[in-house]
Amino acid sequence: MEETSDHPNPTTDTPGTTPEPDLKTMRSSKPGLKRLLITTTVLFSFLSGLPFLWKSVEIYRSQLPFHDIDSLSDQVKSAPLRFPCTFHAVFVGFGSNDPDQLRSEIQDGVNQLTGESSQCGSCNVSISVTVQSPDELCSETFPSTCSYRCGVIKRDSFGRGLDDAVDESLDDVFSGCSGGIGKMYSVVVVNKENGDEVKAVVGKRRHAWIVGSGLEERFGEVVGRVSEVFVKVFMNGGREEGDSIRGEFMPVGSDGRLVLSFSLLNSNPRDWIYDWDFQRIDEALLAPVTKALAPIANISVESQVLYHTPKSSFSSWDEKLQSYIFRTSDLPFFVNSNEWHLDTSAGASGRSKILQFVVYIPSGKECPLHLQLPNEEISKTNGFISPMWGGVIVWNPRSCDKDSESPSTNTISPQDLEKIVEVFLGQFRQLFGFKSEATYTRELGSYKILPSERGFTKWELDVLSRKHTCFNLHSCATTLGSLSRLVQSLPRMIIKDEIGEQVKYSLKAAKLAQSNASLGGYSSSASSSREARSLAENAFFHPSIMSVSYFSYEHCFAVYSPFFLPVAGHVVLAALREWRRYKQEKAKYLTWLTRKQAA
Amino acid sequence: KKKMKNLTLVVMLLCYSFASSSGDTTIHTNNWAVLVCTSRFWFNYRHMANTLSLYRTVKRLGIPDERIILMLADDMACNSRNQYPAQVFNNENHQINLYGDNVEVDYRGYEVTVENFLRVLTGRHENAVPRSKRLLSDEGSHILLYMTGHGGDEFLKFQDAEELQSHDLADAVKQMKEKRRFKELLIMVDTCQAATLFNQLQSPGVLAIGSSLKGENSYSHHLDSDIGVSVVDRFTYYTLAFFERLNIYDNASLNRSYDPRQLMSTAYYRTDLYQPHLSEVPVTNFFGSVMETVHTDSAYHAFSNRISNSKIKSDTPFNQLSEQDVKEDLRNTHNQNDELKTEKQKCPYSEMRADLHEKLKKIENVDTMVNLSIAVMILVVMVSSSLL
Repeated sequence: MEETSDHPNPTTDTPGTTPEPDLKTMRSSKPGLKRLLITTTVLFSFLSGLPFLWKSVEIYRSQLPFHDIDSLSDQVKSAPLRFPCTFHAVFVGFGSNDPDQLRSEIQDGVNQLTGESSQCGSCNVSISVTVQSPDELCSETFPSTCSYRCGVIKRDSFGRGLDDAVDESLDDVFSGCSGGIGKMYSVVVVNKENGDEVKAVVGKRRHAWIVGSGLEERFGEVVGRVSEVFVKVFMNGGREEGDSIRGEFMPVGSDGRLVLSFSLLNSNPRDWIYDWDFQRIDEALLAPVTKALAPIANISVESQVLYHTPKSSFSSWDEKLQSYIFRTSDLPFFVNSNEWHLDTSAGASGRSKILQFVVYIPSGKECPLHLQLPNEEISKTNGFISPMWGGVIVWNPRSCDKDSESPSTNTISPQDLEKIVEVFLGQFRQLFGFKSEATYTRELGSYKILPSERGFTKWELDVLSRKHTCFNLHSCATTLGSLSRLVQSLPRMIIKDEIGEQVKYSLKAAKLAQSNASLGGYSSSASSSREARSLAENAFFHPSIMSVSYFSYEHCFAVYSPFFLPVAGHVVLAALREWRRYKQEKAKYLTWLTRKQAA
Repeated sequence: KKKMKNLTLVVMLLCYSFASSSGDTTIHTNNWAVLVCTSRFWFNYRHMANTLSLYRTVKRLGIPDERIILMLADDMACNSRNQYPAQVFNNENHQINLYGDNVEVDYRGYEVTVENFLRVLTGRHENAVPRSKRLLSDEGSHILLYMTGHGGDEFLKFQDAEELQSHDLADAVKQMKEKRRFKELLIMVDTCQAATLFNQLQSPGVLAIGSSLKGENSYSHHLDSDIGVSVVDRFTYYTLAFFERLNIYDNASLNRSYDPRQLMSTAYYRTDLYQPHLSEVPVTNFFGSVMETVHTDSAYHAFSNRISNSKIKSDTPFNQLSEQDVKEDLRNTHNQNDELKTEKQKCPYSEMRADLHEKLKKIENVDTMVNLSIAVMILVVMVSSSLL
């Protein structure tokens, strides 16, 4: 810290010419830059390394496309998704009607029934009409979407025989029609000559027919019924509220899987033991249902047989009905959660949805066991559901007498199993929001609905696909929105690459679903939207997003300051000191120069 | 006049949009319980007894094990200082052995950490975590969250090593609400200065009950001279006394008042985030097993027009049906392929492999073919070696 400066030997100054230099204020040589250069170089290298240090301690955050997420949320909220549907009406045996006028009347009827609200999942309707006169001449509305070959449906012979056969024949008639976008739903109205009652049937695929005589006179009613079939049956699926998407009737897990867990409960194996051949019914009866629902959910089936599983509600003996009765008020307490160990699924992962279907065999003390409804009737199905949980069916053994010695081991016969599966299908449809009545009654009349071996008819599957697409897109958008808000509110939290990728793929799948929907592919949009939802949920529930484990500024400071602060302090101080010294020496040199020049 | 009409229209539109956005009428589907005991060591016996008593109550009133998450340090029953091995009591009369029946502890010992607790609440587990350790609630669930241990001003101590702060809890609840993991949440905390833990809660639908206010301690009820430590806390003791008189059919309401003189602290209810009035809330909203049930009106008679035996016994009708389905699917996909975007590229190698796989699958008896081919190979080897 000493002042080391060059100063000439005070004894060797030339006398007379220059005054004696004052060493404290003057110096005769220019001060060197070496010291200053060295210290400032060190300081500069520290400063230039600072951005690299900053970058290396930066929290790694994968860039999430916040803008795209916001635009998806806005789109889903503001523009509800509508699917293109084509309605085609064929009037056979109507002589004097103009197809264009018919079309406008049906359009009015449809508009009246749908109202002004455009719900998500509803149809963008385009209607086309074909009229076939009694002498087999056809006229149709102008943009003819379907090549219906005139005269194929014969006025007199139509509708004879079993409804299933008529349905098959109609499928052949309309099978060539693939024009237009979206699926085509058709209603055939046949005006017969001889006196038949009006009968309306909805088939298993996408056709319905109304057969009767004297329909040409009751024209307005016919048009009304056609509009009713189009809107209430084909568009809304026979459900009353075609409106808000209720989450409790969408039992699909957030990873797009659904596990159906069947349990056969022997409540008292000391009385009798029942077993079932589940493998056969799984292959024969359940596999078609599972396959039909493939775009909506990835379904897997498992089964178990349990013993010693009493129920926790009570039943009473009814003398008149000669059986034990439990009421609908007992239903919430029926499932005995302490003794029924139903949730033993090994195959279901954390985010799948499990639906429990229980077949309960009552003990000898409560046999036969029947459910009594509030209107004093006995239930035909002896079963009930709980939304989002599953269903219970009480099955009474053939005979309630038990062998006094040892409990008998029986297998449930295939016919009984089939009946049980029919009740199960009714419950399964109920969990998805569909009723299973054979006739559907509205103001203008009743319609017979044909059941399908796949558990759901094609038009019901279309309704399900549309509703599920809406629900999945809505859920995906809200999940991604929550994720983006969460990420933006914690600026120092690490976001892994995996999360960014999942968000990107989810947005891509959502766009694909929306474009498929506008092109009319119901099942493909349902499966893309399911994928979008599952990817969004994976991203949101990624285990690394824990607010406990992010690095605050204080933490960063506390870790790095012991390394850099002491050294940095010294370097900066040294540079400042050298700078000050240089300025002083420069001033000294300048005063010596001026003194010299003055002399 | 036109302006008035426009104004009323705007007001109506606003009302409609408000109603449709806030009209969230999800039904109550099930009840869940998360019971956490945050202390370990022998002198904190009463905290584990608290939690186990509440576990027993909640099970008795109907919530099954699969909907209860129990987090305990679980070092009391088999502790070497326990005079009554494998038994845990909550009263000095030793009438109920809380550890006797089915006790299913989901997180035990050192697994009870703040991180695991927050993971349970928010649902962010690793993929391998089993279902029994997850809170699988949905948007219609009512959740009871009970925590007991040592706490202080805005924190709760976990296992003497870390602490849970009130803002962490509030954050987790906020994320649960955003992801719709509950419909209503009841938080009961039995620690010192319990009410401070709720200071940062903001989410609607949360009801919070704490055993003491800021600056007050929560006290234990009595000391069991046989075991040598206190066996239950006052707040939990009086809560359990209320529940012991109930069974699953009861309809009592949650509006329970605690006597501050008996508790020696002031029980605090935070009800501003919870809409229904406490006296209208039945206890079974949180503490019982309520199932919404709907009767199944009719079966789906899909099979009644076929001969029932042939459907299951013989295979041919099923095969025919499946062939038809396959044809129809093919037709559908052909129709849609032109219009819809598909992402697959057809690779000839993989196609060839798929064909080979199909052919191999069709061979009926794979075993004999394998045996035959082994015999042929041995023959070839013998012939070639004899030729050499």
